[in-house]
Amino acid sequence: MSRKVLTVEKSKCIGCRICEQWCSLTHHGVINPAKARVKVTRIEESGVDVPVICTQCSKAACIAACPEGALSKNSKTGAIKVDKEKCTACRKCVTACPNAAISVHPEDEYVLICDLCNGKPKCVENCPEKALQYLPIETSERIYRSKVVRDTAKGGKRCG
Amino acid sequence: MANLGAVNGKLLRVNLTTGNAIVEDIPQEIYTKYFGGRGAGTRYLFDEVPTDTDPLSENNKLIFLNGPMAGTMAPGSNKIAVTFKSPATNGIASSLCGGHFGPELKFAGYDALIIEGKSEKPVYLWIQNDEVQIKDASSYWGKNIPETGEGIKKELGGDENIHVACIGPAGENLNVIACITAERHREFGRPGAGAVMGSKNLKAIAIKGTQDVKPAKAGKMANYVKELYKEFANNPKANARRNYGTVEMVDGINKLGFWSTRNFSQGQFEGADKLTGPMMRQEIVVEDTSCYACPIACGKVSCVESEKYGTVHIEGPEFETLGLLGPNCGIGDWEYILKAAEVCDYNGMDTISAGATVSMAMECYEKGIITKEDTGGIELKFGNGEALIAILEKMAKREGIGDILAQGLKVAAEKFGAPELAMHSKGVSPATYDPRGSKGMAVTYATSPKGAHHMISPTMGAEIAGDRFAETGKAAMIKDTQIQMALVDSLGYCSSMRFVMQVDHQLELFKLSTGLEMTKEDFYTVGERVLNLERQYNVNCGMTRKDDSLPKRFLKEAMEDGPSKGQTINLDLMLDEFYAEMGWDKDGKPTEEKLASLGL
Repeated sequence: MSRKVLTVEKSKCIGCRICEQWCSLTHHGVINPAKARVKVTRIEESGVDVPVICTQCSKAACIAACPEGALSKNSKTGAIKVDKEKCTACRKCVTACPNAAISVHPEDEYVLICDLCNGKPKCVENCPEKALQYLPIETSERIYRSKVVRDTAKGGKRCG
Repeated sequence: MANLGAVNGKLLRVNLTTGNAIVEDIPQEIYTKYFGGRGAGTRYLFDEVPTDTDPLSENNKLIFLNGPMAGTMAPGSNKIAVTFKSPATNGIASSLCGGHFGPELKFAGYDALIIEGKSEKPVYLWIQNDEVQIKDASSYWGKNIPETGEGIKKELGGDENIHVACIGPAGENLNVIACITAERHREFGRPGAGAVMGSKNLKAIAIKGTQDVKPAKAGKMANYVKELYKEFANNPKANARRNYGTVEMVDGINKLGFWSTRNFSQGQFEGADKLTGPMMRQEIVVEDTSCYACPIACGKVSCVESEKYGTVHIEGPEFETLGLLGPNCGIGDWEYILKAAEVCDYNGMDTISAGATVSMAMECYEKGIITKEDTGGIELKFGNGEALIAILEKMAKREGIGDILAQGLKVAAEKFGAPELAMHSKGVSPATYDPRGSKGMAVTYATSPKGAHHMISPTMGAEIAGDRFAETGKAAMIKDTQIQMALVDSLGYCSSMRFVMQVDHQLELFKLSTGLEMTKEDFYTVGERVLNLERQYNVNCGMTRKDDSLPKRFLKEAMEDGPSKGQTINLDLMLDEFYAEMGWDKDGKPTEEKLASLGL
C-alpha cells in the first residue's frame, strides 16, 4: 500500500469550517481559524467553498525555499515538520507553496504547516461531508478519476 | 469582567458623530441574566435608547451582540443579533443573521458592537482586531450588495476572508424593509435594520480577526460536540434540511392548506408540486452551503439560466422567500422567483416583506383600487412575474409607486385607501404560514414584539401533531415556544439546531463554553425575562393590546377552500388565555408582580 495523503473534494465542502476548529483546538487548545493549518475560503460570487490544505508534496517546495533549514519531512507520514526555533517567519515557504497552505502564526514568529496529526488528522475525522479524506495515494487517484469521468459523461454541472 | 471562557466580555462602541471608538467591559450580570444576542441586546436598548426616539434619527443605535458560544465548536452557534428601534414598528426589534459575520467579530476580540450617532458623510467601518477605522464610503454609496462587498474587500487588499456586512440602495433610501446583508447572501432581515444603518450614513462593516476563542472546558466541549455530530447525521429533519433547505416544508404546509397564496386569500397554491424541496433540488440547486460550525448545511445556492434575465444566481431560496415572492404573488416559476429574490438581495430588501408588499399592491390592482396610471404602466396582476420584478426595482429606487411601497405595506395600503388589504401586525407582514391553518401562529404573529414574525414562536409542528384549529388550550405551549426561541436567539443558536439540541444540550454547551453554572430553571427564567423586557419596552413605546392585532382577513374571512376551509380566528379569546399564561394584564402589559419575579 502506498503512503497516505490528505485529499480534498471541494465540491463536497459546505463551508462549515469545522475542520479549522478541530485543527486549531488540537494544536493550540483554542478555537482560532488564524491558527488552523487547514483554511476554508468561500468565493461569495459562486457560493463555492474551497478548503486549502497541505498535500504533502514529495519534493516539497517549502523545504527547498527555506533558508534556515527549519523544515523537514516526517519519514513515516510525509508531513512537514517545522522547527520553531530555527524558523524566522521569513515567509519564503508561504509564497513557495503551490497550494497557499502555509501561514505565519498570528502572534509568534514561526509558520504553521499541517502535520497530519501524526497520521490521524482531526479535520478528516470531523468533516461532516467527507470532503476531506486521508487515503492511500492510489485510492485517492482512482476516486478522483472516477469523479472526473462521471462529470464528463454528464456534461458537468449546470450554471458552472 | 470575570473569566467566562469563550466570552471575552468586550464591547466595541463606535460613535459616528464624534468618530470615537472605545472598548468597554460587558458586566458579567449581562451574561447570567440575558446571555447575549437578542436578550443582552434588549437590555442595552432598554437602557440606552429612550422609547420616544425616532428610529431614523441619530439617537437610535444598532446593537450587535454575539451569543456566548460564538466562534466555538457548539453547532450552529453563529447567529449574531442586531437590536434597534424599528422604523417599521416603532418598537423594539432584534434581527438575527447566520453565516460567518458574528464569529468574525468574535475572532476580532469583540462579543458586541454598538453603532451610535450619525456620520456626516457615507462611511464604512474597518475592524481588524484592535485596529478600528472609520473610512470614506462615498464611492460605494448607491452600489448594490455584491458591488459593495467585493469593492471593499478589494480596497482592503483582496482578502476573500474579510467578512463584510453592508446595506444596498434600499437601506440608503431608508426603505423600512431594508435589511443589513452579510457576506452577500446572509441577512439581518427584518424589520428595517438596513434603514437604521442608512440613516447613520454607514454603508458597511468589514471585519477580520485573528484572536483566540477559549471555551472554559475546551476538551470536554469538543467531546460533547462530537457526539452531537452523530445525532445530526442521523436526524431525519436535519437530513431533510440538508437536502432541500427550508423549502422541505412546502409540501406539508401546502397539503394542509395554509400556504400563503395571493395575498393570503387562499391556502393552497395550484403550482405547488413544482416548488417542493425535491423539485427545487432537481431543477435549480447547484451548491450546498453552511453557516459557521453547522453540520446541517441547509443553505442552498440556486441558479437559473433565463432568456430575459441571463444567469440568475442566488443563495436560497428559503421557504419564506419562496412563499412570499412566489405563491403569495400568484407566481410558480423558478425563473421569476429567483430573479425577484436576486433583486431583493442585490438591493438589500427583506424578501418576506417585499413579497407581502407587492402581493398587497397586486390585490389592490386587481380590485381596481390602484390602476396602471399608479403603477407606471405595469400590469400588476397576480401571476405576472415580470411585473413583480419591475415593482421590486422601483421599490429599491423609490421611483413612482415604489416610493409609496417603500414606506411599508401598512402605510402604503392606507395611502391606497385599502388598509384592510395589508396583511400585517405592527406594520410587519407575517411569514408564509397562514395562521388560519395553525392557530397558535395567530398569537405568535400578534404578540411578536417586532411585528408578525414567525420565529418568535413557530408552533406549526406541535400544532400539526395535535389539533391545529383549536383556539383554546394552547397558551402554555405557545409560551414555552416563545421562551425557547428567546433562549435560542439570546444564545446565538440557529433555530434548526433544535432538531437535535434540546434545552438540556443548549444548557450544557453554555456551561462548557462559559464555565458558568446554571440550573435548568434559571435557564428558562432568562428566556422569560427577555420576553418581558421586550414587552415592557414596547409598552413604554405606547403599545398595548390594540397593537397585538391581525388583519380582518385572518379574523373574519373564512378560508375559502382546501383542508383549512371555513377557518377564521378568535384572536381575542386566544390573547386572553395567552396574556394570563404570561402574567400580563388584560391590556397585555406585564404586571408588577411578574416583572418583580423576574428581577426587572
